[in-house]
Amino acid sequence: MTVVRIAAAGLALLLAAACTAPAPPRGEASTAGTVCAPPQGAPGPETVTTIDVIEQAYFCILGTYYSGATLDARSLLTAGFVALTQELNRNGRDLPEATMPALTGDRKADWTAFEAVYRKVTDQVPGLRDKLAIVTLEAIVAGLGDDHAGWTHDVKRPPDYYDGDGYGLGLQANVDDSQADGNLGVTLAPLFVTTVLGGAAQAAGLRAGDIIESINGSAPFIGGQATPAINALYPQYPEARPVKLRLLRQSTGRRWSVALQPGLAQRDLAALQVVRSKLLDDDVAYVRMTGFAPDSADRVLRAISRLRKGRTLSGVVLDLRGNSGGSPTEATRLLSAFVHGKVTAYHCTVDGTCATSRTDDTLELLGLPLTVLTDRSCASACEHFSSAVKDLRIGRLVGTRTAGVISGPAQAYLLSNNTLLSFPAQHHLGPNHEVIDRIGVPPDHYVPLTPKDAAAGRDPALTKALTLLHK
Amino acid sequence: MRQLLAVAAGLAVLAASACSAPAPPRSDAVSAAPAGPATLPAPTGPHQVGTTALYLKDTSRPDPWNLDADARELKVTLWYPTKQHDGQRAPYMTPKESELLLKGTSIASAPYDTLSKTRTNAIKDAEPAGRKLPLVVLSPGFTKPMSTLTSLAEDLASRGYVVAGIDHTYESYATTFPDGRVAECLACDSNSDPGFGTGLIQGRAADVSFVLDQLPAKWDGSDRIDRSRIAMVGQSIGGSSAMATMLEDPRVRAGIDMDGTAYARIPKSGFSRPFMFLGSAEHVSGGPFPTWDRDWKLLTGWKRWIVLSGAEHQSFTDTPLLADALGIKPLPGVLPAARAAELTRTYVAAFLDQHLKSRRQPLLDKPSSRYPEAKFCPATCARS
Repeated sequence: MTVVRIAAAGLALLLAAACTAPAPPRGEASTAGTVCAPPQGAPGPETVTTIDVIEQAYFCILGTYYSGATLDARSLLTAGFVALTQELNRNGRDLPEATMPALTGDRKADWTAFEAVYRKVTDQVPGLRDKLAIVTLEAIVAGLGDDHAGWTHDVKRPPDYYDGDGYGLGLQANVDDSQADGNLGVTLAPLFVTTVLGGAAQAAGLRAGDIIESINGSAPFIGGQATPAINALYPQYPEARPVKLRLLRQSTGRRWSVALQPGLAQRDLAALQVVRSKLLDDDVAYVRMTGFAPDSADRVLRAISRLRKGRTLSGVVLDLRGNSGGSPTEATRLLSAFVHGKVTAYHCTVDGTCATSRTDDTLELLGLPLTVLTDRSCASACEHFSSAVKDLRIGRLVGTRTAGVISGPAQAYLLSNNTLLSFPAQHHLGPNHEVIDRIGVPPDHYVPLTPKDAAAGRDPALTKALTLLHK
Repeated sequence: MRQLLAVAAGLAVLAASACSAPAPPRSDAVSAAPAGPATLPAPTGPHQVGTTALYLKDTSRPDPWNLDADARELKVTLWYPTKQHDGQRAPYMTPKESELLLKGTSIASAPYDTLSKTRTNAIKDAEPAGRKLPLVVLSPGFTKPMSTLTSLAEDLASRGYVVAGIDHTYESYATTFPDGRVAECLACDSNSDPGFGTGLIQGRAADVSFVLDQLPAKWDGSDRIDRSRIAMVGQSIGGSSAMATMLEDPRVRAGIDMDGTAYARIPKSGFSRPFMFLGSAEHVSGGPFPTWDRDWKLLTGWKRWIVLSGAEHQSFTDTPLLADALGIKPLPGVLPAARAAELTRTYVAAFLDQHLKSRRQPLLDKPSSRYPEAKFCPATCARS
């Protein structure tokens, strides 16, 4: 469920920035169907999810989703019903009436049949009704198999939350929360701490480079394959059960166990800035960008021109590791400072009609060599940017392959209970019309981070990037 | 997110809340013909009011927003009692400041210099009068020049307070320095970053402490200030900055947060100096972003939480008073400008009179029939 986690993270970001308006998605509004529309302003308080909400979501998807016009709607209803029956079973409340109705392929008739059974079932288990509605709708959305489709609901913030706080164990590992939540195929053993953010991890004395050998008694990798146990590294409020980790510190050979209690932790405010910059080796502008937030492209460009003042730069290192994406408009805008007259991406409908994202050639070209640092957490708009850098030969990519989470630009739709359904109406293709989604963008120079590097505070990818610029 | 609600609920003018992202004025809220220049309501206290500006430079720290500035420059506007009756009324803001504020707020319904024609009541550079005067620090909302709190500042000065209003440089659309430089809103670049508010109020706390340090040396009238009686009042993130400042600086004895989402981290052990939340319906108990609920429990001393029915985010500023001049009609259901100013002046002054002048104010003890808009939270203002 990468999908849902990403959507939730997006909303969490909006909530975290309580002082700002949610940025209206730029340049990607799709024609809304009649059953659902993008939210106008902040949604009101959430109310309970009912069969009517599920119906609205179902027709919203069929009316507006990328392949809504052509997909077999029966697959969505079936996915929903599977989840419904599993939830009944888990609660020891299985029912003889809980059998899938016959579906004909007529979307409206099939919904009517589904709704009739759904009501019959849920009426008999009133205590489970709300939960059943949630799992059903979650499963319908997950049934799209689209990493930019998600349903954001029941977003709760801890009552003691302050702007900028993070919730969790206080650590970041080389497998990030989005990967841990459903994109495990992209991960590499061993599992290790890359950053101690604060909170329980800091209090327990964890350090970057510490190898996590087990999580709640389970191995993170079995036969080289990542296991869902890793997901426990990233508890979300209100999950509060302590998470037991067995750790190995390679430098000393020490092995020990800690139990980390999830909670709120103050984060380093400087590290939360979406754009940060500094001068490296007296002639390289290093800019780290954690998201393609509104105005972020211009922030990057202002940072570069500031560092350029009074000196000759030999290049730019743009650090996009951990960049979770954002606005395709910002990706194209930033690219426009490096190349003109090009298409940076195609957004295509299911029938193959593609909208082109063209560079804004009114933007002044920087005329500087570019090296981009990427990793498996560079997702969505970050991959839009990275694929264009590679395809259009704007610069070199250094690090590891990007996330492969870029099905297409998502638009949120407000459901009648004030929850948000989001999905793309078009799918994304790179400048060479290639699919990036699930595949990612491979770096020109593969430089992974090892636990030893992390422990020693070394950044081999950055070192490589600087070497390339100074050649 | 919250200011979108504020806008929907209220006056769609200068509506940026805690942090910018101004909403364009709603078309149905704009009338065709702007009235003449605005006149701020007369101060209600017994004293004439003088005003002057100070420019201070803190060389002990770099500017938090302008990475090329190795010192923090601040403009401080003082309002104070005077015996002088005649003299030039102080300008509200410069034409350039008016232009930058209106452009920043996407208001194009009146000429850009309109706000510079606003008529104020304070006499420019008048000789201060009085002694042992309590001091009130004022801090405006994000993107707003200090002048947007002039109506409150003049009123407090007429009641016998020295008011020190701070333009937090680069956190406003326009701050003019004596050499003609106009600092614009560099902080607006990053206001959607997580942790932005938390960082900003820490900077403002440092600004205020620096101003308190400098005031004796930098203002001739400062011997008229009783430095044992200092309070801070702010709107929006300026209000949250009041708490942030008090947590850092024990010289500030009491504070008011006017409709500001709270960012300052109060220790779990609590906070015992007098504090008042004065807000709009956005800040009723149990609202969507319950920072006041969170902090209310941590206030262990004298405290009040008052929500004004019909108020919106800018009701605590001059903004509604300027709407006519800008050709902007208030939305239905919102407190009329004059009433909003009266309520703000009355409750702020009552709080300050009680805590800096030791004059008990029954107005703060319970709802008043004269001001039925004021609901006392959390008891009688729960979210409907």
